Amino acid sequence: MIQEIYTKVLAGESDGVRSAVQKALDEGIKPSKIINDALIKAMDEVGARMKSGEMYVPEVLIAAEAMKAGLGLVKPLLEGEAYAVGKVVIGTVAGDLHDIGKNLVTMLLESSGFEVIDLGVDASAEVFLEAAGKHKPQIVGLSALLTTTMASMEATVKALREKAPGIKTMIGGAPVSQQFADEIGAGGYAPDGASAVDLAKKLIQ
Amino acid sequence: MSKVFQQYQGGSNKVFPGDKVKEIHEASVHLMEKVGVKVHNPRARQIFADHGAQVDHGEAIVKIPRSMLEDAVAAAPSRVLLCGREEKNDLVLEGTNTYLGTGGTVLYTLDLDTGERRPTEVRDVAGYAKMTDALENVAFFVINCYPQDVATEDVDVNRFYHSFANTSKHVMGGIYTMEGLKDVIRLSEEIAGGKANLLARPFVSFITLIMSPLVMEVTYTDFLMEIVRYGLPLTTPAEPLAGATAPVTLAGTVTINNVESLAGLVLAQLIRKGHPTLYGTTSSIMDMVTGTYMAGAIESALINAGCAQMAQYYEIPIYATGGMSDSKIPDCQAGYESAATAMIVALAGANYIHDAFGLLEFCTTLSYEKMVIDNEIVGMALRAVRGIEVNEETIAADIIAEVGPGGNFLAHRHTAGHVRKEFFFPRVADRQMRRDWEASGSADTAARAKVMAEEILREHRPLGFAEDLEALLRKNYAGIK
Ligand code: B1M
Repeated sequence: MIQEIYTKVLAGESDGVRSAVQKALDEGIKPSKIINDALIKAMDEVGARMKSGEMYVPEVLIAAEAMKAGLGLVKPLLEGEAYAVGKVVIGTVAGDLHDIGKNLVTMLLESSGFEVIDLGVDASAEVFLEAAGKHKPQIVGLSALLTTTMASMEATVKALREKAPGIKTMIGGAPVSQQFADEIGAGGYAPDGASAVDLAKKLIQ
Repeated sequence: MSKVFQQYQGGSNKVFPGDKVKEIHEASVHLMEKVGVKVHNPRARQIFADHGAQVDHGEAIVKIPRSMLEDAVAAAPSRVLLCGREEKNDLVLEGTNTYLGTGGTVLYTLDLDTGERRPTEVRDVAGYAKMTDALENVAFFVINCYPQDVATEDVDVNRFYHSFANTSKHVMGGIYTMEGLKDVIRLSEEIAGGKANLLARPFVSFITLIMSPLVMEVTYTDFLMEIVRYGLPLTTPAEPLAGATAPVTLAGTVTINNVESLAGLVLAQLIRKGHPTLYGTTSSIMDMVTGTYMAGAIESALINAGCAQMAQYYEIPIYATGGMSDSKIPDCQAGYESAATAMIVALAGANYIHDAFGLLEFCTTLSYEKMVIDNEIVGMALRAVRGIEVNEETIAADIIAEVGPGGNFLAHRHTAGHVRKEFFFPRVADRQMRRDWEASGSADTAARAKVMAEEILREHRPLGFAEDLEALLRKNYAGIK
């Protein structure tokens, strides 16, 4: 059954995943095993296939949908066990309206098992701080696409470092670079969606 | 010399038949009436409401009735004059008149000396404006880079000042702040000698934006309203990316673009009937392997050509996009992507095709060499737009009879008389025999273009400002570098 769930996730068949997960539960397979050995493992494979260009972005997202459909059945049975790999608060910084990249990063993080709280666009340092306090994520992710909004990114990272020092920050977006991340003291920089997932995984270790 | 800039009639390329234009129009009306547009700007929402649109202030949804759209389309001028600071550079946007120019607000340029990618500076705003001024096929300057060597609050005024200083062709640009917009308008008035002169001969115009799918946000909608109230020409482009912020089907992307751009146009016409508003598109696709925005995709050209057909149906001039590439250097890919996309959109008769010069790497990097190469690509595209002129003189039956079987036309007066008009004469392309090409150093396309770019930057003298005007402007705007 584990194999079947795995295959159905790869094929992006939500209904198929749901019925396979139900069968697995009926057979007495442990929820955590279903999650780790079938659902997350399938998404790891999806990630690899995306990187190699074998799977296209929409196919990846449909596979992620299917994964989440299965997760929805198993999650309530976890009895307090944390199911998510980690928690990320993400947003586009103040003054910036570009969200396509941030949304893609969000979807890919979710597909890899992260719980993501999305603050949308034009989010000020206060909004980030408040969300960090409320959701207690391991990571806060910031996106900026304009040179003019790199300053808000810097201010937000600074505020987070001062007021929420336990939380790691990661940044991305077209004008941003590793050098800029180093300059403003961000925890990490990712040039694209796939490396954002890798970076997030590294940051929570 | 003719009074206005050289005119070409596009429109031979149709990417869908005429009845499909109607179908997209009807779908658009349906979407405007039933789904509506999210207008985050409360002031704009109120204007829509005051004129009878169905507005849900809580959800920020504005539903635009058919009659409101029809009135706006009827009110919007079918002919928009975008002037140069010299009359010979005036552009008449109407019908299928086709012009191509620069665009993109990029952050990087390939350095002309080193070939390295480096941040753009004020000298690049000036440099690309000067190139625009000198290259014969560039019809206008959409300010194509962001100077990273001046303070944020001085960016807008520096972008426009150095553009005006280096080209007398029409200048259009996006703005970053309301203060900046007001500065730029004041600066333009000072150059024109007052508001009345500026509005009579608008040598500057602006770009705001609609966010796909179906959103008008706060700041840019404020810019839109400010510009319309003032009266300078404006475009309200949408940038739906097929597969990401629009349906993956190109017809769906044209449809959503149509709704969005028209929504901006409706707002403009509600504020000031007859305001010179351009229908706008910068639409393209998202690459499904890398998940990034693509600039040189063939589908982008098709969407833009489709939007041109829609704009022609409404008889509203269009600001469109074409001629970019995603290559990182001015290489073969840069050439074929730019050529294919520029050609398709130009043949569709889009009026004001921006982004067609010098752009590389997803609209993030400029290249001086590529700008020279694109001047040639656009020259070829415009030659194609011109098509084949057919009349007694060009069919030349009498000349054929005169030369007769087995003769030749090379030395005939008819040939000498027509060759300059019939043939396009490239300047970058190499047409030498191999021996001569080798003797002249075996330079490739980019290397040949580099020499030409260097020459323009060194030798070309734009109109510029009279000394006292320059002094005045610099005194009034201390931030000018
Ligand atoms: C948290 O951790 C992470 C980790 C990785 C992260 C991350 C966070 N965030 C991103 N990443 C990374 O992973 C993602 C997935 O691989 C990647 O995200 P990206 O966002 O890079 O990639 C996306 C998947 C696809 N890419 C995009 O979505 C951006 C594409 C381009 C063409 C672009 C678009 C689409 C838009 N734009 Co604008 N836009 C451009 C862009 C040019 C470009 N090639 O980048 C850029 C960024 N825009 C620019 C400009 C100037 C503007 N834009 C504006 C508006 C818009 C649209 C609304 C039309 C639209 C955005 C729609 C939307 N919903 O987001 C205006 C500004 C609005 C504002 N205040 O924000 C306006 C000012 C234009 C105007 N009309 O005045 C330029 C910036 C120049 C500058 N000075 O900074 C620009 C480079 C284009 C250009 N050459 O002119 C990585 O960067």
